[in-house]
Amino acid sequence: MTPLSALFVVVVPLYALAAAASVWPARRAQIGIGNGAAAAGSAAALVVGAGALRPASDALAAVALLPAGSFAFRLDGLSAVFLVLIGLVGTASGVYAIGYSGDYRRSQLATMGIAQVLFLSSMILTVVAANAFTFLFAWELMSIAAYLMVVTDGSAETVSAANWYMAIAHAGFAAVAAAFLLMSAGELTVGFDVLSKVSHPTALKNLIFLLALGGFAAKAGIIPLHIWLPLAHPVAPSHGSALMSAAVIKMGAYGLVRVSFDLLGGGPSWWGGLVLALGAASAVVGLLLALVQQDLKRLLAYSSVENIGIVFMGLGASLLFRSEGLDALATAALVAAIYHALNHAAFKGLLFMGAGSIVHATGTRNMELLGGLIHRMPWTAALFLIGACAISALPPLNGFASEWLLFHTLFGAGLVARPVIGVTLPVAIAALALSGGLAAACFVKAFGISFLALPRSGEAAEAHESPLSMRAAMTLLALCCVALGLMPGAVTSLLARALVEPGAASVVSAGGAVELVSPSGVGRVAPLAIGALLVATIVLAALVVRAIVGGRIRIGDTWGCGRLVHTSRMEYTAAAFAEPLRRVFRELYRPTEDLVVETHPESPYFIQGIEYRSDVNPWIERVFYRRLSRAVERAGRSMRRLQMGSLHVYLLYLLSALIGLLIASAWL
Amino acid sequence: MEAAFPQLCILGASAVLLAAIIPLWRRHVPAYIVAFQWQSFALAFVTALVGYMAHIRELYIVAALIVAIRGMLFVRLLRKLQARVGEITELKPLVNIPTSLLIAATLVVIAYAATRPAVLVASSPTRGAMPLAIAVILVSMFTVASRKTAIGQVIGFLMLENGIALLSAVASYGVPLTVELGLFLDALLGFLVMQILVFHIHDAFDTTDVEQLSRLKH
Repeated sequence: MTPLSALFVVVVPLYALAAAASVWPARRAQIGIGNGAAAAGSAAALVVGAGALRPASDALAAVALLPAGSFAFRLDGLSAVFLVLIGLVGTASGVYAIGYSGDYRRSQLATMGIAQVLFLSSMILTVVAANAFTFLFAWELMSIAAYLMVVTDGSAETVSAANWYMAIAHAGFAAVAAAFLLMSAGELTVGFDVLSKVSHPTALKNLIFLLALGGFAAKAGIIPLHIWLPLAHPVAPSHGSALMSAAVIKMGAYGLVRVSFDLLGGGPSWWGGLVLALGAASAVVGLLLALVQQDLKRLLAYSSVENIGIVFMGLGASLLFRSEGLDALATAALVAAIYHALNHAAFKGLLFMGAGSIVHATGTRNMELLGGLIHRMPWTAALFLIGACAISALPPLNGFASEWLLFHTLFGAGLVARPVIGVTLPVAIAALALSGGLAAACFVKAFGISFLALPRSGEAAEAHESPLSMRAAMTLLALCCVALGLMPGAVTSLLARALVEPGAASVVSAGGAVELVSPSGVGRVAPLAIGALLVATIVLAALVVRAIVGGRIRIGDTWGCGRLVHTSRMEYTAAAFAEPLRRVFRELYRPTEDLVVETHPESPYFIQGIEYRSDVNPWIERVFYRRLSRAVERAGRSMRRLQMGSLHVYLLYLLSALIGLLIASAWL
Repeated sequence: MEAAFPQLCILGASAVLLAAIIPLWRRHVPAYIVAFQWQSFALAFVTALVGYMAHIRELYIVAALIVAIRGMLFVRLLRKLQARVGEITELKPLVNIPTSLLIAATLVVIAYAATRPAVLVASSPTRGAMPLAIAVILVSMFTVASRKTAIGQVIGFLMLENGIALLSAVASYGVPLTVELGLFLDALLGFLVMQILVFHIHDAFDTTDVEQLSRLKH
């Protein structure tokens, strides 16, 4: 049995079972079987993908094609990598939802269950699609599934967010469809294997690339098309947010790789430069916007903009190096980008699920109302901390490995003879470094404000640990974060083999399974050794402390500078933490500040209360959309003039349209 | 007989067009109904003529149905409708009568201009009636758009249907009988729906002046 038929034989029945169970009258079946079967199906997809990627497997060498009417499916290296990504996130999401969806109503459970299955199957179909028709079908299905997932809650806020998402997704779909129509000259059922051999005129090729880039950037959430992420991700159910942030936006990266690398076969160097610039802008601006958020899930959504930006930087660098003929660097950059996509799926899935656990326990996403959760939710806190360290690129976790590889690949710019590239690539390196530093600050804020110190509200004080299934899902993803980080050489050689060609693995795996070597061979790093050193240092320090102080350890209150009473009012707030950056990047945030001091009526020196409020108005999000929405509104109003309320005028429209057409047809 | 056939065909089609112009010329609502009845008879005559010349027996059935349904049933229903809402005169048409007639003339010219390419390439003996059929459609649409009383509009709509039937008879010697039956049903249903609407408008506004409908906009 080929991997592809295995995929359909095993995964389809399991997903069908999940969908059927989601609408079953019994609540237990809806939650348990619905989500359990979705998780099992995703696990099967994960196994199929991983099996196809196995070094010994020859499944990828003989590309399996499965035509079925206008649909055609194929599993190649790129598909297999993304299949693993989807399978991993889907498994975790299904398991997580068993515990998470207990609070939802019956009808919401049905919507959520159906949306989850649709979501997973449409993503799997997208990556195994072998012609444009199948791809576009699955692509649109994915948008609908995401819409369903977002509107589960049904409140006005969620519907508005979902509408934003739908508008951007449809604009993106139009661009992608136009790109495919141009590429295949209108024959959407022509296979990708045939399309990749067609050579287009330069102007057409550039147009196809720009359309595809626009469409895929909309799905990926690249600035300035990112606006739907911070709206839609926070309001979706948390496993839905995890799916969207960890898997859906990666489909944009998949599409870009499929079209620009596979189908168009690379292009002039400005393609790579454009993708790199968009990626760098998203990475920096995404994180700057994440830093000032008070809504935990919105913060994570903005951080996804940053991470997908890093993935696009890698893809752009790869396109650039490829056009310059530097194949080894191009391979390394592509591997780094996809590696980061995989890593981001693991840690962002974990973080969104951690945020979901907090919502589940306290009912709020506002960090200003959280605090002290580490005492009430030790498991969630530990797992969230692993995710936060991974996303901040701390060794030995996975975020470090992929960002390290990308850094070293970008340093390869020194090999490019053209001065324009030699000057601009260091700017990209600086942007990557800046975003890395800001990410650490951002997640210090997210973890510190939510989990440490004293609870800031009654809900936070009475939080409870999440159920076993939620912790199990998060543990799975946390283990992936650790494993992907400790075995970078093994992962990169697998990716290089799958994405480029079996021989390309040597570029990135010179150091064996546990060591990562930079493409130039200058830098080497072994996260496992770093991890071992870290553990050894901690153990040693503990032993030394024990040897010195012996058993004389006294546990007392924290010293409070002489104050006797500590309240949560004295704590650092999320807004205060971001204040210095808000000042530094004032131009970007354009903050509005509102300070109300309430004094005693007798004397202004006795202050009874201070209220401070500060909002950010990032112009980068407004300037474009405000104009767009105004233009749409104006067009709508002018169209309203046609609607006069008089039946005769409407009939006259009909008559004049008919006569106009008749005259036009006679004339032409 | 063979030579006279195109002439007879154009004569019948001209009668249909003439009947379509009557609602633009008269203000007396019962006259509209009579015009519609004569138009249906003229249409039945053209249909039967085409059936006789082209040896299509089905067209005789269609002609009989036109006389029975359009010429009798619809006329009867229209008279009932008129008796119920009690409209005798179209007081203020949106376009006055001389202008209406001038516009109708323009529409006929446009119909001739628009169908010229089709008439030039067609070889059937009935081709001379094609512009007239298009003209019936355009003039009827103008009737619907410019008359204020609901009955005027209903009749305009029915005449439009007659124009389409005429076009199908002269351009392609009719359509298959099932389609023709479907068209009858379509017209009947359309008429019934409009009848209900007219009653409602009459009950709500105490007039069937569709101008009043614009009050529903806000």
